[in-house]
Amino acid sequence: MLEVRGLEAFYGDAQALHGVDLVVREGEVVTLVGRNGAGKTTLLRCLMGLHRDVRGSVTLDGTEITGLGPHQRARRGLGWVQDDRGIYASLSVEENLTLPPVTHPDGAWSLAQVYDAFPVLADRRRAPGTTLSGGEQQMLALARVLRTGARVLLLDEPSEGLAPVIVQRIRDIVQQVKANGTTVLLVEQNVRFASSVADRHYVLAEGHVAADLDNEEFTRRQDELLAYLGM
Amino acid sequence: MNEILQYTVQGLAAGSFYALAALGLAIIFGVLGVVNFAHGACYMLGAFAAAVLMDLVGLNFWLALIVVPVLMFFFGVLLERLLVSRLTALDPLYNFLLTFGLSLLLVDLVKREYGVSGQPYTRPEILGGQLTLGALRLPTYQVFVLVFSLLVCLGVWLLMTRTRIGMIVRASTEKSELTRALGIDVNRWVTPVFGFGIALAGLAGVLAAPFRAITADMGSSFIIILFAVVVIGGLGSIVGAVVAGFLVGLVEAFGQAYAPTLSQIVIFVLMAVVILIRPAGLFGREENA
Amino acid sequence: MSTKRLAATAVVSASVLVLSACGSGGPGGGGGDFSDGKVVLAVLNDQSGVYKDLSGPNSVKAVEMAVADFQEKYGEEAVVDEIEVVAADHQNKPDIANTKAQELYDREGADIILDVPTSSAALAVATQAKEKKKLFIDIGAGTTELTNGQCNKYTFHWAYDTYQLAQTTGTAVTEGGGKEWQIIYPDYAFGQDMDKSFTRAVEEAGGTVGDHIATPFPNDNFTTFLTKAASAEPDVIGTMQAGGDLINLVKQYNEGGYAADGIELAVGLMFITDIHSLGVEAFEGVQFAEAWYWNHDDENRAWADRFLEETGTRPSFAHAANYSAALQYLEAVQAEGTDDADTIVGNFEGKEINDVFLKNGTIRAEDHRVIHDVYLAKVKSPDQVTEDWDYEEIVSTIPAEEAFMPLDQSACSMGG
Ligand SMILES: Nc1ncnc2c1ncn2[C@@H]1O[C@H](COP(=O)(O)OP(=O)(O)OP(=O)(O)O)[C@@H](O)[C@H]1O
Ligand SMILES: [Mg+2]
Repeated sequence: MLEVRGLEAFYGDAQALHGVDLVVREGEVVTLVGRNGAGKTTLLRCLMGLHRDVRGSVTLDGTEITGLGPHQRARRGLGWVQDDRGIYASLSVEENLTLPPVTHPDGAWSLAQVYDAFPVLADRRRAPGTTLSGGEQQMLALARVLRTGARVLLLDEPSEGLAPVIVQRIRDIVQQVKANGTTVLLVEQNVRFASSVADRHYVLAEGHVAADLDNEEFTRRQDELLAYLGM
Repeated sequence: MNEILQYTVQGLAAGSFYALAALGLAIIFGVLGVVNFAHGACYMLGAFAAAVLMDLVGLNFWLALIVVPVLMFFFGVLLERLLVSRLTALDPLYNFLLTFGLSLLLVDLVKREYGVSGQPYTRPEILGGQLTLGALRLPTYQVFVLVFSLLVCLGVWLLMTRTRIGMIVRASTEKSELTRALGIDVNRWVTPVFGFGIALAGLAGVLAAPFRAITADMGSSFIIILFAVVVIGGLGSIVGAVVAGFLVGLVEAFGQAYAPTLSQIVIFVLMAVVILIRPAGLFGREENA
Repeated sequence: MSTKRLAATAVVSASVLVLSACGSGGPGGGGGDFSDGKVVLAVLNDQSGVYKDLSGPNSVKAVEMAVADFQEKYGEEAVVDEIEVVAADHQNKPDIANTKAQELYDREGADIILDVPTSSAALAVATQAKEKKKLFIDIGAGTTELTNGQCNKYTFHWAYDTYQLAQTTGTAVTEGGGKEWQIIYPDYAFGQDMDKSFTRAVEEAGGTVGDHIATPFPNDNFTTFLTKAASAEPDVIGTMQAGGDLINLVKQYNEGGYAADGIELAVGLMFITDIHSLGVEAFEGVQFAEAWYWNHDDENRAWADRFLEETGTRPSFAHAANYSAALQYLEAVQAEGTDDADTIVGNFEGKEINDVFLKNGTIRAEDHRVIHDVYLAKVKSPDQVTEDWDYEEIVSTIPAEEAFMPLDQSACSMGG
């Protein structure tokens, strides 16, 4: 479904990605693990078309999307949740939810569904987005892309800095999304969380793919990976 | 007491011009990231358009309040398409320099065409004279300017808070990249937003026509105060621009009353104090600063 | 900036106009008495800024008219065949005026510089004139310093100054019943000077000045200053604002309805171009000092008609004064048979002149102040106006000796 070939990204003279190749098949949940600074966030930004200085190709459903702008990629079904959640302070909770247009109505969550799943968002619908707690903001960020009906979710460390109950909640959502056939590319440092939801894993090191593991092997080599990731 | 009330209304009336124009400046900065130095020149063009159209086709003040902003909107659209858009991908400094050059060019073109002595303008009879409220006596025109611009600010506020367009403008003001990534074609809104900001400057110019000298240079010192206003209010903050506009008008009026020669310095002192205490401005968000 | 410079360059190049007498090989004029064998008159003024309409390019036209009149009058008899008029833009900045004056005297071979509005610029040019020992006749600037502390042998002041403005308006309005004054003035050298001169004139005429309200410059909002001045319930608010600031103040004075409360507005410095730009309605009834008015008598009017033909507009006092200064300079050259500056100064000193601009004029030898009759003018009401630029009614004529600073008050010493 999503295929990346020879992706290189630059920040001025510094190269952050050195020819990344990866494939995410339809309905799969794939994680991207790697140390801090490995280039995970940069990779997702490149997929969204937010990085100018790039080379290589990205295809979605076999169509080249390399030249498309961010909003065109969103309309083709990419749904991005950025690492700092990206909640608007100047928009209310409900405006945060309804800002992005619904791109694929069949998979899209309705506002009622969102409020049903996250009652706290319903309670605080008129409040400015950033007055929510960190966990609530993460829910809001997830709910926002779910409402568009995005077919491929690009989630950048959704569990980072959150309490275990919330992490559990996010896992439930990812599993529910997967059950509906949505494809997910998940950046995750939390190895246990990663192994509990994903089918496959890419280990990213210094801007290129160091390993491509199925979940079984990933779980087997968990300790080694933890040591590698420095945890 | 009476005088203090009078100074207050005068300050708010002067603030009306700042608020309207700063609102346009803030919206443009928010969505385009462009500090439009030509805003003062657009204010001047608004006043000139009112005067010249009155002279040529007898366009009266009431119609000018509608026609001139519409013309200025299209002028803004043209500027954005022809010039500003070519530089948005580069360092914001380029657009600052572009609009700076543009303001000099516009002022000199107007001087060349109309000289420097200023244009005559007649306001409607009904807005002449004074309104008396008890012991308080206020020029009708000042009261009109105040009420009218408060209504316009309110209208813009409703547009910003109650409509989808406003929501998109707020979103792209705050996080332009993310807004694109959420599927919104921000570029499509850039041109009309620029036009709208210019139209507001033009509207402030029309309001100034009956009350101020219509000269090619009228925007030159105005733009400096305007920058102080948006810095005090918080760059890109819409509410901030309006509140700071009226605030600066008040500070100026009381400065004029109690420390006449310092009345313009006081504004910049206020700006310095605000920057020291809240670097992002009264209503600015830290990340915008 | 670039257009401004372009425009200025265009004006300069367009007006480097060489006028030659028709008769070739003029009779025994004695070419040896002329520097470069020709006479060069330079107009240095504001070609693009606030004083452009008041003087600007049309003063260059006025000087060209003087040259043409001179050549027509003397024809073959003229002592010099070639008379050149050049122009430069000083943008009202003293540093630019200084460099331009050097350029004009040295490179363009100017024998005399004319006009130079803006006091600081005029004083800079006066210094150059003294150093280069070349003539300078100032018209556009108002500072009394030119003929006072900073006077010099080569500098003359032809039209008006701040003392005379105050003497005209301050005295006449006070004597007309406006006893209690409030003065609003822009807080820079000219404004402070005007404030002092007016205060003296008002007090000498038996009036009093309450507050002296200093304002920033430039400024577009005078509402609070006016409220403050009016709160003292004076007879007159005197404003020393000029140009765009004056228009701002007058518009806001009108909106405030102070006239209906019996508070008159007296304007320190105002020009016919201000009335023209704003319309008579705005200034109706305002009294101010006028050095010359085009429609005052038949002589003025005849000249103004010619000027209208040349330029498409009516002359301000500055246009007439530039014409007068250029013409009197050429007359002196004709009389002396040379353009040598010291000889011309000798010719000028103490000379009595009557021409279209100077009425009962005298070039005072002691300080080079040119004194002449001046006027208190009043802006007509719209229904009194019968044609374009017919804006003023001359209320009274102030005789030359009364209008200008008496010699005993002058600190001028030519030796210094
Ligand atoms: N704006 C930037 N300018 C310059 N270099 C950058 C920029 N953003 C990231 N980098 C560099 O690019 C490399 C990849 O960064 P990136 O943020 O993609 O890593 P990451 O894998 O997401 O790290 P983390 O786990 O800390 O989020 C790092 O070396 C980083 O320092
Ligand atoms: Mg990251």
